[in-house]
Amino acid sequence: MQSIIEEIWPKLRKKHLYPEIPMPRVRETPEQEKSESEEDEDVGLEMKQKQLTINGAFVSQMKEKMPEKRVIEALLDHGITHYTFCPWDFHTHLRLYAAAKKVVGDKDLAKQVSNHFIDVIADTHCVKKRFTEIPELHRNLRKGDVEEVIASLYQEIWGMDLGIAPSKMGVKGRADIVRRLARIPYLDRSRWGESIQKFARTLKPLLIQEQKEQGAQGGKGERNPQGEHDLNHYSSEEIDQGLRDYARQTMTLSEFKDVVEDFSDELSGAGYGMEGGMGRGQGNPVDADVLFYMKLAENYSIPVKKFPLEEKGSLHPYSHCPWEIGAPYQDVDVWTSFGKIMPGITQTWTKREGKGRGKIEGTPDCLIVVDSSGSMINPRKSLSYAVLGAACATNAYLHNNSKVAVYNFSDAPMGGKDILNYTDRREDIYRVLCKYFGGGTALDLEDLMPFIQGKRKLDLFIITDMKITNLEALIGFFGQIQNRVTAVHIGDNPYAARFEKAVERKKNISIYTVKRTEDIPHIVLGKIRDYFNPTHTKKS
Amino acid sequence: MKSSTPPHKSSILPPNNENRIAKNPFEEFKTFTASGPDLPLDQIVQSTEAVMDRIRCGYEKLLEEEAKELVWMVQYNTIIKAYEVAEKYVKEISYTAEDIEDFCFALENTQRIPYLIPGPAGIYLSALCNYTNEEEIVLKLSELKTEINLVGFRLPKGKRLMIEGDTGDFTGIGLEGGELVIDGNSKNWTGAGMRGGKILIKKNIGLHTGEWMMGGEIYVGGRVRGLGNIVEGKVYEREKLLYPGKVRYPNVYY
Repeated sequence: MQSIIEEIWPKLRKKHLYPEIPMPRVRETPEQEKSESEEDEDVGLEMKQKQLTINGAFVSQMKEKMPEKRVIEALLDHGITHYTFCPWDFHTHLRLYAAAKKVVGDKDLAKQVSNHFIDVIADTHCVKKRFTEIPELHRNLRKGDVEEVIASLYQEIWGMDLGIAPSKMGVKGRADIVRRLARIPYLDRSRWGESIQKFARTLKPLLIQEQKEQGAQGGKGERNPQGEHDLNHYSSEEIDQGLRDYARQTMTLSEFKDVVEDFSDELSGAGYGMEGGMGRGQGNPVDADVLFYMKLAENYSIPVKKFPLEEKGSLHPYSHCPWEIGAPYQDVDVWTSFGKIMPGITQTWTKREGKGRGKIEGTPDCLIVVDSSGSMINPRKSLSYAVLGAACATNAYLHNNSKVAVYNFSDAPMGGKDILNYTDRREDIYRVLCKYFGGGTALDLEDLMPFIQGKRKLDLFIITDMKITNLEALIGFFGQIQNRVTAVHIGDNPYAARFEKAVERKKNISIYTVKRTEDIPHIVLGKIRDYFNPTHTKKS
Repeated sequence: MKSSTPPHKSSILPPNNENRIAKNPFEEFKTFTASGPDLPLDQIVQSTEAVMDRIRCGYEKLLEEEAKELVWMVQYNTIIKAYEVAEKYVKEISYTAEDIEDFCFALENTQRIPYLIPGPAGIYLSALCNYTNEEEIVLKLSELKTEINLVGFRLPKGKRLMIEGDTGDFTGIGLEGGELVIDGNSKNWTGAGMRGGKILIKKNIGLHTGEWMMGGEIYVGGRVRGLGNIVEGKVYEREKLLYPGKVRYPNVYY
């Protein structure tokens, strides 16, 4: 069978315009396992990451109905089209699933609907755009109730006879279902969102009926002979990218959470258990809230200003200038002066003071102070700009190999606080950031001192709405320290104005307002006004 | 004067250029055709879109004529007039029940139809249902976020309209002998002024039910919140005859 694949693979690649997919493999079932794995014969194709694997048992079983070569070609056409057209990427898959879930309301049904929809699109695309054996495969596949309806849909929209008798369609309004399904513009990618909802609406009664029958029989449903559509299709990078895109597209925590929790088993399997680092842990539940902020924050990039170069004091030759009579001889460049002392020919070196980076190289560590009092949005209920901003800052420092400490507070003197020491473990940081206390707002400055003492080069990032009971104490505290401070306030209010006024002369404090997510990229961490914007200092 | 012969270019080309002509890297795709044969799907989708465009166009004209300021007051005259306008446009279109359902969902898609005004939308929807060739119309509207008013207005005898989902106010008003089934809830003034036929509400119903009802029957599977001033006809609540009978009348809240 592998030789057949090797023979047809170049032709298939050309047909599908050379997709970047490795040579498919064949999975042969060992003789001793054959008797045990009868149900294994139901599935013809397996897709893991980008590796297509043909099930030898399935092809052998189909051999009586159609030649092996044609079965393999049809299966591969189908599999390749999943990568080249639908769903294309994990984000599209999630989007389609979420749209189906809104209609059917049930996780399993939504997965079934999205799988059928993806298959219909892939097969229809293939039939329209390429010469394929897919119709012949469908003619010979074993079909359940839903598969029969889908096959008669194919008959309708492809204009081919797939062996579904019209009498079968008379049962329980199936003709009506097929007529409705046939009106969907499957090949119009821009309308897949609304199309899958219509598809789900139409197919829902049939799927519910099938689910009930299966429940009554106490068995699992029939498996998709053209391969199951799960997260195994995608590499971890694709899953990362898909989650990132989906978080950015929805911007709604509840929707993201809903979908991620439905895929929690698969995501845990793919390494999205939050303990032990992304992609390494298994068996821990996926914290959808934390994952949402993590993925959403990856869409925003905040620059961190490194420490400015400091004057070192030593002079070095920088450029040439003509020598004039009376000027000292020691700076003459004998090489460019051709060994002559003569105005117009002789050149001297102009020297400049050398620059260095000071004692600490790169980016310092950062202490993130985040307000989670009652006046702030609960990050686990809806999108919190404060947490998103803090998450972006976390990413920025961690990417620069710095460590981050978190001080999450509401009424800190009364115990409303969570403190995380300097670490580079992203999940731990996010978990503390996502914690919500509610209640009053007061800072306990004593808590901050251990984080700052002994760290001359340390950045502070505070994100709050500034409605802090002891705001004056905070202003006084910022007045004393020389560290770079990035203060972000959510929305405008008199307290924020008071804070801005009080620290306006402090060059080491930069203040930003975040009212929308679009404001976040404008934040520059560790910005020092007089260095980067000298005109600003002159004016003030 | 310029010579008619083109300038000799052989000096630019390297010697033995016949042997060195570069092969077109896309030669392999010479026979490739970007789009395959037309499938019946293309035709179905195309004709569906054409019908939807006409339905949409009719609705927009109705809005232009009847709701210029995008404000529409429910009054006897305005309803009659709007229905006449809707009839005028709907009569010219050939469509099916599925087209009506698609139109309902298109109403919520602001990119396709900019304004959803529940009153005129309901009048237009009723006209579509009344003038379709099909006798039984099933509209699966349970995922619709907006409850459309005036659904089933003047549903004629011989027609059966079944709606999966909730409907708004004035459902089935002026019913003319048809059968209206709502697989969900219905709001106030349901069946007002109906002359004959049957309204079946699977769940609950609001106030003023059957106001100035002249005939026909209203069956409610759930609770009736309040009855209107009924002239003639029957109202049942959970298979129990509510009117005529010992009714909490009119508009008693319970």
